[in-house]
Amino acid sequence: MSGEPRRHRVQLAVIGSGLAGCAAALFALERGLTTAQVGHSGALAYTSGHLDLLGVLDGRVVDDPWSALGELQRRQPGHPLARIAPETVRHAFHRFTAALSSLGIGYTTPGDRNLRAPTPAGTVKPTLSLPCTMAAGVTAARERSATLVVDFAGLEGFSARQLVANLGPRWPGLRCTRLDFPGMEDGGVLYPEAMARALEVPATRERLAGRIRAVLEGASCVGLPAILGIHRPDRVHRALQRALGATLFEVPTMPPGVAGIRLQEAFEQALPARGLTLVSRQKVTRLQLGKEEATLQLHDSYGPLEIHAGAVLLATGRFLSGGLVADRDGIREPLLDLPVQQPPGRDAWHRDDYLAPEGHPVNGAGIRCDRWLRPLNPDGRVVHPRLFAAGILLAGQDWVRQRCGAGVAIATAFAAVQAAARHLGPGDGDSTPNPG
Amino acid sequence: MTPASPATIPTLDFKAEADRLLPPGASYDACLACGLCSSGCPASGIDGMDPRRFIRMAMLGLNRELSTTPWIWSCTLCQRCSSVCPMSIDVSVLVSLARGNWPPERRPSGIVRSCQAQLRSASTSAMGVRPEEFVDIVAESAAEVRRQGPRFRRIQPPVDRQGAYFFVNQNSREPAAEPEELGPLWKILDYVGADWTYSSTGWAAENFCLFGGDDDAWRAVVEQRVAAVNALGCRVWLNTECGHSFYSMWRGIRRFGLDARFELDNLISWYARWIREGRLPVNADWNRAGLRFTVQDPCQLVRKSVGDPAADDLRFVARALVGAENFVDMQPCRGANYCCGGGGGALQAGRSGARRSYGRRKFDQIAASGADYVLTPCHNCHSQIEDIGRHYGGDYRVVHFWTLICLSLGILGEDERRYLGPELAGPGLPDRGDDGDG
Ligand SMILES: Cc1cc2nc3c(=O)[nH]c(=O)nc-3n(C[C@H](O)[C@H](O)[C@H](O)COP(=O)(O)OP(=O)(O)OC[C@H]3O[C@@H](n4cnc5c(N)ncnc54)[C@H](O)[C@@H]3O)c2cc1C
Ligand code: SF4
Ligand code: SF4
Repeated sequence: MSGEPRRHRVQLAVIGSGLAGCAAALFALERGLTTAQVGHSGALAYTSGHLDLLGVLDGRVVDDPWSALGELQRRQPGHPLARIAPETVRHAFHRFTAALSSLGIGYTTPGDRNLRAPTPAGTVKPTLSLPCTMAAGVTAARERSATLVVDFAGLEGFSARQLVANLGPRWPGLRCTRLDFPGMEDGGVLYPEAMARALEVPATRERLAGRIRAVLEGASCVGLPAILGIHRPDRVHRALQRALGATLFEVPTMPPGVAGIRLQEAFEQALPARGLTLVSRQKVTRLQLGKEEATLQLHDSYGPLEIHAGAVLLATGRFLSGGLVADRDGIREPLLDLPVQQPPGRDAWHRDDYLAPEGHPVNGAGIRCDRWLRPLNPDGRVVHPRLFAAGILLAGQDWVRQRCGAGVAIATAFAAVQAAARHLGPGDGDSTPNPG
Repeated sequence: MTPASPATIPTLDFKAEADRLLPPGASYDACLACGLCSSGCPASGIDGMDPRRFIRMAMLGLNRELSTTPWIWSCTLCQRCSSVCPMSIDVSVLVSLARGNWPPERRPSGIVRSCQAQLRSASTSAMGVRPEEFVDIVAESAAEVRRQGPRFRRIQPPVDRQGAYFFVNQNSREPAAEPEELGPLWKILDYVGADWTYSSTGWAAENFCLFGGDDDAWRAVVEQRVAAVNALGCRVWLNTECGHSFYSMWRGIRRFGLDARFELDNLISWYARWIREGRLPVNADWNRAGLRFTVQDPCQLVRKSVGDPAADDLRFVARALVGAENFVDMQPCRGANYCCGGGGGALQAGRSGARRSYGRRKFDQIAASGADYVLTPCHNCHSQIEDIGRHYGGDYRVVHFWTLICLSLGILGEDERRYLGPELAGPGLPDRGDDGDG
């Protein structure tokens, strides 16, 4: 039995399979770059499914994110979204949502204004684009349609009653009810993932539709937790809506939910079919940047692997995904030990007021880059001409507070791929088709 | 551990064991309690347990409860949980430990007896098929195959042939229970002119000692097999359509540092290769009715061992056989696939209510795919998927790859169609001729 690594040679290697890594792989394939991607589970798995561009600026809810980008450029010129032209951001967003829709996970076309989407906490949240399965909730909330929100015995992380308690005062036609989920009536804990898979079976859909119809009582809209299938949810949504005879929408659940699983599984299947060399559920353990090429080393269950690439795009996320590590001495980037822009010491990480609207200095920590998304040394020199970075790993943004997670991921992925392609030029790297 | 009488289960200190077993830097303390593992685990809820709960309880030191929960026999050790966990936490390590901690007389007797049978005989057969019996069954079945027609005259499965390229293993179920399923495999090996042999010792594929949590026993079975292959000087140990046999050998050789002077490979990849090389000229002409097929990715072969290349080969062969337009994937699939629920010894553990509850997810996946047939390159998957189909009222059938390959090549005998529906009882029967030599 041999221990020789299996080798792949590509133009671009993407490290990370969150939104930034997947968007980068997609954009790179669209450009015709031979591409490999390595990634593991991470923050994407917990997402609500909403694609936020910029929802909050200086503590104020943003209605028009495009003009807010201009404001961001003035106030926070170091913010990753402030360094990319708004038309490039728009273009990247459109390409990304169109690609998702072609995978059967329809997303609303990003418009000029933020949408106000209901959340499981019973609030409404500004976001730019959301799954078509959730779209009718925005309209129902705006028009205060007669709506029945359903939750399920045993499902934690989604309470119809809480939704109605919080939204009801401004939305009089809103009612709630609790049902048993067909085939899962034994009193155990229910998971959205299992329910969503079950709803891909026509017979389960019909039984659920029957139970909901029996309690509709004239409601014209029905809100369900996000359980309308995982693979091609649009189909499940259409079929159940038809069976109900009412407008149907999903509201995200608390993690563990299905929105991220939908995206992850769709990418894992579709991108290799478009030529991507994908090593999923693994992490790169070593990255070497050489004069001639970059080399990624990793292990999958079968043994060692090496990926040789002309350029590398680092999209490894923050603490949750392992792109940044916090220890006693500060914040580190574990793969290359890249310089991390950060507050001077742990004491300076947080402000005294935990709910301070301007956020905490530690949230702005990350990798500092030039305008071509190349990580920089403290003296301002590029770390390596083959290295690019994207996503929430980047310094100068606070995606949780500013509600800009997907925006940072998608826009910087697009810009970094563009920059990497420029670096590779015609004739750099290896232009033979992917080995994978 | 606390001292105890043989029939009581000692209490394991799970946290201490985890610290001992995990690589430096890794820790179950890293668990975020996010529940992704439980969300994607078909065993969640059985006996009130799930992987997140198991990890949390281990960290809280609830050792008595964990030491005694029967849930450990429902977790199929499929490692789906660790593959979706951002912290790569692998609960199956602790589950295996817990299994080994149960006194043998308390472990599910089906697993224990199968393992004991494997250790007793030089065959390593869990169904107790002894070497001389295996040789006889092969000879008799080969005679049956030869009687099917003149084109099968050469079918003479070699046994103990020194220096053959392939050492072919065999799940005991065929010789012991359904010898007519042996013929299709032999016909394929003959068709491509493979240089192969069986061995009278160490030929069996299955390994239930792996599932008992008893490393010494697992090792003994693998050693016996490695010795058999080394003795014949074969180049490749060829795993036939059986998932965990590959994992148990491949992983066992590494884990126990055994001197295996051969490569390990699995038959599906060779089907793919022979099809690509034109040596198995299969096509989907027999499927004019457009029957829809899906494929089960065995966890042990795909997620736990070879990974995506095995999943790719499975699909390449399946598409070639049934027609690309008639192939549909289950969702999720490949490395993210759900275990069928029969793995990890679950089929032998006797807890059929729990096993079927686990299998409900697989049943839903199949139902959602709309497939008429499920191709399973694994005996455990095959049995479990058939069983849940009957239990939940599915109208699909379950079939091995070798059946369809022979069907497509027009060499599948009448008696070799037990897993095909009536619509496939007739097509492509081989010419009978009258000079089968018997
Ligand atoms: C609870 C929660 C809710 C969210 N809700 C929303 C929302 O409503 N709207 C929104 O817009 N955004 C939301 N997000 C954020 C969104 O998921 C992120 O913005 C987005 O995923 C960030 O993308 P990223 O790719 O930069 O980082 P991540 O998603 O963190 O991805 C990083 C990837 O890098 C991989 N990685 C790390 N190290 C290595 C290595 N050495 N080798 C290989 N791979 C590696 C990780 O496995 C992971 O796949 C939410 C996030 C969380 C946690
Ligand atoms: S997925 Fe991992 S981190 Fe999350 S609860 Fe399970 S073991 Fe813990
Ligand atoms: S059955 Fe599989 S997914 Fe569930 S706990 Fe066991 S190994 Fe993990």
